[in-house]
Amino acid sequence: MSNSSKSPAAGALRFYQPFLWLYPAEFRDEYRRELCLAFLDRWREERTLFGLLSVWLHAISGIFYQAPREHYYMILHDLRYAFRILRKDLSVTAAAILILALGIGSTTLVFSLANGLLLRPLPYPQPERLIAVTETSPKDLNETTQIAFPNYFDLRARTRLLEDIGVYEAGQSALRGEGSAERIPAAFVSDGVFQVLDVEPLLGRLISREDDLPTSPKVVVLSEELWQRRYGRDPGVLGKSLQIENSRWTVIGVMPSGFHFPDRAELWMPLQIDPAKAPRTDYFLRAIARLKPGVSIEQATSELESLLEQIHRENPAANNHWVARAIPIRKSVAGSYSKAVLTLLVAVGLLLLIACANVCNLLLVKASARVREIAVRTALGATRRRLLRQLVTESLLLGLAGGALGVLLAYAGIPALLSLVPVDLPFWLKFSPDYRVLGFALGLSLLTTLGFGVIPAFSSFHADLTDSLKDGGRGGTSGTRSKFIRHGLVIAEVALSVILLAGAGLMIRSFLALRMQDLGYHPENVLTMSIDYPENRYPDGQPARALLRRLTEEVSSLPGVVSTSFGSGVPLNDGWGRLFTIEGHPLDLKDMSFINHIVVTPGYFRALGIPLLQGRDFVEDDFDAPRIVIVSASFAKKNWPNESPIGKRLRFGPPKNNEPWHTVVGVVADSKHGAYKGEDRASIYLPYNPEITPNALLVRTTGDPLQLQQALRARIVGFDSDIIVSRVFSLEQIVTRAGWQDRFFTVLFTAFAALALLLAAVGLYAVISYTVSLSTHEIGIRMALGASASRVRNMILRQGMTLAGAGLAIGIAIAFTLARFLQSQLYQTSPTDPLTYIAVPILLIAVAALAAFLPTRRAARVDPVIALRHE
Amino acid sequence: MRPFLLSRDTFHILVALADRDRHGYSIMQEVAERTAGQIRLSPSTLYSSIKRLLEQNFIEELEERPDPAHDDERRRYYRLTKTGRRAAMEEARHLEKLLSDARASGLVRKRA
Repeated sequence: MSNSSKSPAAGALRFYQPFLWLYPAEFRDEYRRELCLAFLDRWREERTLFGLLSVWLHAISGIFYQAPREHYYMILHDLRYAFRILRKDLSVTAAAILILALGIGSTTLVFSLANGLLLRPLPYPQPERLIAVTETSPKDLNETTQIAFPNYFDLRARTRLLEDIGVYEAGQSALRGEGSAERIPAAFVSDGVFQVLDVEPLLGRLISREDDLPTSPKVVVLSEELWQRRYGRDPGVLGKSLQIENSRWTVIGVMPSGFHFPDRAELWMPLQIDPAKAPRTDYFLRAIARLKPGVSIEQATSELESLLEQIHRENPAANNHWVARAIPIRKSVAGSYSKAVLTLLVAVGLLLLIACANVCNLLLVKASARVREIAVRTALGATRRRLLRQLVTESLLLGLAGGALGVLLAYAGIPALLSLVPVDLPFWLKFSPDYRVLGFALGLSLLTTLGFGVIPAFSSFHADLTDSLKDGGRGGTSGTRSKFIRHGLVIAEVALSVILLAGAGLMIRSFLALRMQDLGYHPENVLTMSIDYPENRYPDGQPARALLRRLTEEVSSLPGVVSTSFGSGVPLNDGWGRLFTIEGHPLDLKDMSFINHIVVTPGYFRALGIPLLQGRDFVEDDFDAPRIVIVSASFAKKNWPNESPIGKRLRFGPPKNNEPWHTVVGVVADSKHGAYKGEDRASIYLPYNPEITPNALLVRTTGDPLQLQQALRARIVGFDSDIIVSRVFSLEQIVTRAGWQDRFFTVLFTAFAALALLLAAVGLYAVISYTVSLSTHEIGIRMALGASASRVRNMILRQGMTLAGAGLAIGIAIAFTLARFLQSQLYQTSPTDPLTYIAVPILLIAVAALAAFLPTRRAARVDPVIALRHE
Repeated sequence: MRPFLLSRDTFHILVALADRDRHGYSIMQEVAERTAGQIRLSPSTLYSSIKRLLEQNFIEELEERPDPAHDDERRRYYRLTKTGRRAAMEEARHLEKLLSDARASGLVRKRA
C-alpha cells in the first residue's frame, strides 16, 4: 500500500485497518490487502464529509457483522475435519475417549463427593455464620463435641459475640395412639435452636423461651412430612395432643417441607431442663450457635474459652479444666471425612494423570503416522498456526467427548457409591452433580486436553518434514526425541500406578487388620434389636423386670434361639460413658477418665461369647442387691495391677456426687463396646436393677440370625402390641457398619489402583507394540543374520521390563515418601508395611510382563524375507 | 417450494461476474450500478462471500490480469466457473418462475 499511503485517503485507512484484527488470522492474512484496497477505492468515490462518514460506518459495520461469521466458519471447518480424522482411526479414538472418560469420570465422582461434603452450602440462611460449640477435654481435643446444660445456659447469658446459641439431643421417640405406633427420629431442643437456624414455621409457632422452662406444658413441633403422613395435612392438628413415649404433648407448629435438624429429626420437643439441677459434667447435648455478623471463629473461640473458665471458677467442684471451642458447623459434621476425601481426590488425580499420559502416548503414535499428512498440508501452504489449531481442535473434541462420557459415568456411579454408605447421612448432604460438579468436569476436560494434546501436537512439527515426504513416513517421530517422550510417559504411568497400588495395598492391609481384630465377642449368629415398651404400664422395677423375663422366655422358646439377653446398648452402637473413682485412689476431676457403663441381664456374656475370667457371672437375684459390678480385664489390670480385683470397690460420677460404692464380683475378657477403630474405653458391667431397665435385645441363634427376625418380632408384638421393635440388625451388620468408612475408602482406593494398573499395562503394551512395528525391519535383519525367535522375543521383553522396572523403582521411592500422609487413616498398619512393598512390585512385574509379552509374540513371527523385501 | 440456493449478495456477485472477470472493487461498483445504488456491498461482505464462493468452486481467482487498462498487479481478479454459472442460472430461472407465478396470480401486473 505504498502508493495509497501518499494519498489523502491513507489517513482513513488508519481508522479501518485496526478493525481487521477482529477476523481470524487466516482470513486476515489472506484478504487484508484486498479489503483495504476496496475500502480506499470506495473512500475516493466520496467527496462530502457525510459521504465519507457513511462509507466508513458501512465498512466497519461490515467487519462487525462478518468477522464473527468467519470465526464460526473456521471452527466449523476445523470441527468437521477433526471429526473426519477421528472417525478414520476409530479404534484409537474410541480407546482415547474411553480412557479419558474413566479418568475424568472417576475424578468427577470423587469431586461430587467432596462437593457434597465440603462445598455445597447448608440449607440455612447465611450458613457460614453457623458454628458448633463444644466442651473438650484438654487431654484429647478431638474426644467430645458435646456440652453440659448448665454451661450452655451460662454461656448463652454471657456471650456478646454470638447472636444466639441452642442445644439439642437427637434420638428416636416412640409415637403412639392415633394409628400405628412407630419410632421416629426426634430431637429435644432448646428454644435457641430455631433462632440460630433462622427458620420460620409453616404452621403455628416454634418453641419459645417460655416453652423451654422446666415447668412449662409439654409442646411439640412436627415436620411437614410427619404432618402429611399422620394427619393428612390437616391444619386442625394445632392444639391436638400427641402420645410420645409416655406423655401427651400438644402440637404447636409444623415446620416447612424439607426441614430436618439434626440429621433426619421429624419432631421437636423442648428440653425443659432446670439449669440449677442438671450436672455440669454431664455432656450429652450438642450446641449450635450463630456468630454475629463480622465475628470470626477465633474471636468466638477465645470468648467462649474465657467465659467457660469464668464459669469453672464460679463452680470449683465441677472444674475439670475442659475448654470451649467454636467449630464451623460443616467441619463439625463433615470434618472427620474431609481428610479421607482429600486423600481420595489425590488418588483419583493420579489416576487422571495416568489416563492423560496414556492418551498422550496414543496420540503420539498416531501423530507419527500423520507426519506425512502434515508435511503435505504444510507444503500446500497451511500455516503452522493453522495446523496447530487443527490438532488442538482434535484433542479438544477427544477431551470433551471423554468428559461428557465421564460425567455420565459419574452420574451412574454416585448411587453405587452411596450404596456403600450404610448410615443415615445428614439430610442436607447431597451428592448429585450440580453446577460446581459440571463446571469442574468441564474444566478438567479442558485441562486434560492440554495435558495430553500439546505434546503430540508439537512433536508433529518437530519431525523432519522433508524426510517424511521422501521416505514412506517411516522416519517421523520414531526419532530418539519422541522415543524418549514415549518411554518417559510409560515410566511415569507405571510409577503413578505403583504409588496408587502401594496406597491401596496399605489401605487393604489396614482394613483387614480392622476386620480381623479380636472384638472380644463372637458377632456371628447374633440378632440385636431395640425394644420400646410403654413405661407407664411397665415402670422401672418389678413390672419392667417381669416384662424382660417374660420376653426372654417368649424369645427363648422360639426354635433356633440359643440364648437371650438384654443390655443397655448394643456393642459398637452404644455411647454411655461415665466417670468413676476407685476406692482408696481418689482423683482430681480433671484427671478422671470415662468408662463404658453397661447394664445387662444375666446371660449377657454367654449370648455374646465373652469369657468370664475370674469371679462370678450375674444371676437373677442380683436384681434386688444390685451394688455389684463385673469389670473388663484391662480395667482390672490397670487399677489393681498386682492384686485380685474381686471384692474391691468403685463408684461412678464426679466425686462431689457421692454415689454409692459398687463391689467387683467378676472379671470378663476385654471386648470392643464403644469404639471399633482405635482405643476403646474400658468397660464396667452392672446387673439390671430397679433403677435401670436395659432395652437392647441380644439373641444368639443357631443359624442366620436375620432369618429369625420376623418370627421374633411377631412373638414380641404378639405378646403386647404396644411394644415397638426397631433397629433390627445382626451383630455382624453392626460390626460392618462400624467399619463402613474404612471399607468405603478402601474399596474406592483399590478400584482406582486397579484401574491405574490396567491403564499403565495398556500404555506399556501400546508402546511395546509400536516399538515392534517400527523395528520390524531391524528384527528382520537380526533374524536373517541368525537370531532365533526366542532371542528376538527376549530383546523386546527386556525393553518392556526395563521401562516397567524404571517406573517401579521411581514409584516405590515416591510411595515410600508419601505413605506417611496415609498414616492417620491406617489401623495397625505401618506406612512402610513390608508385605505391601513386596506384593506391589510382584503384582506390577507380573502385569507388566504380560503386557510386554503379547507384542513380543508378534515380533518373533516376523518373516525376514517379507520384512526385508521392503528395501 | 424450494429455498433459495444463493443469498442475495452472492447472487449479485455472480451476476456481476457473468459478463466479464472483475476484481473486488469492480464487483462492488457493478452491483451498486446494477441496483441503482440500492445494494452497496461492504468490503467485508464482499470478501467473505468471495471466500465462500471460492470454496464452493463457483468462482476462481485468475493468474493473469485481463483488464490492462485498469491493471494493478496487486489486485486479484475473479472469474465465474462453469459450476458458478450453472448455479446462477438455476437461481435466475427460479426467480423467473417466482415472478411468473406472481404475475399469474395477479400480484404483479403482466408486462405489456
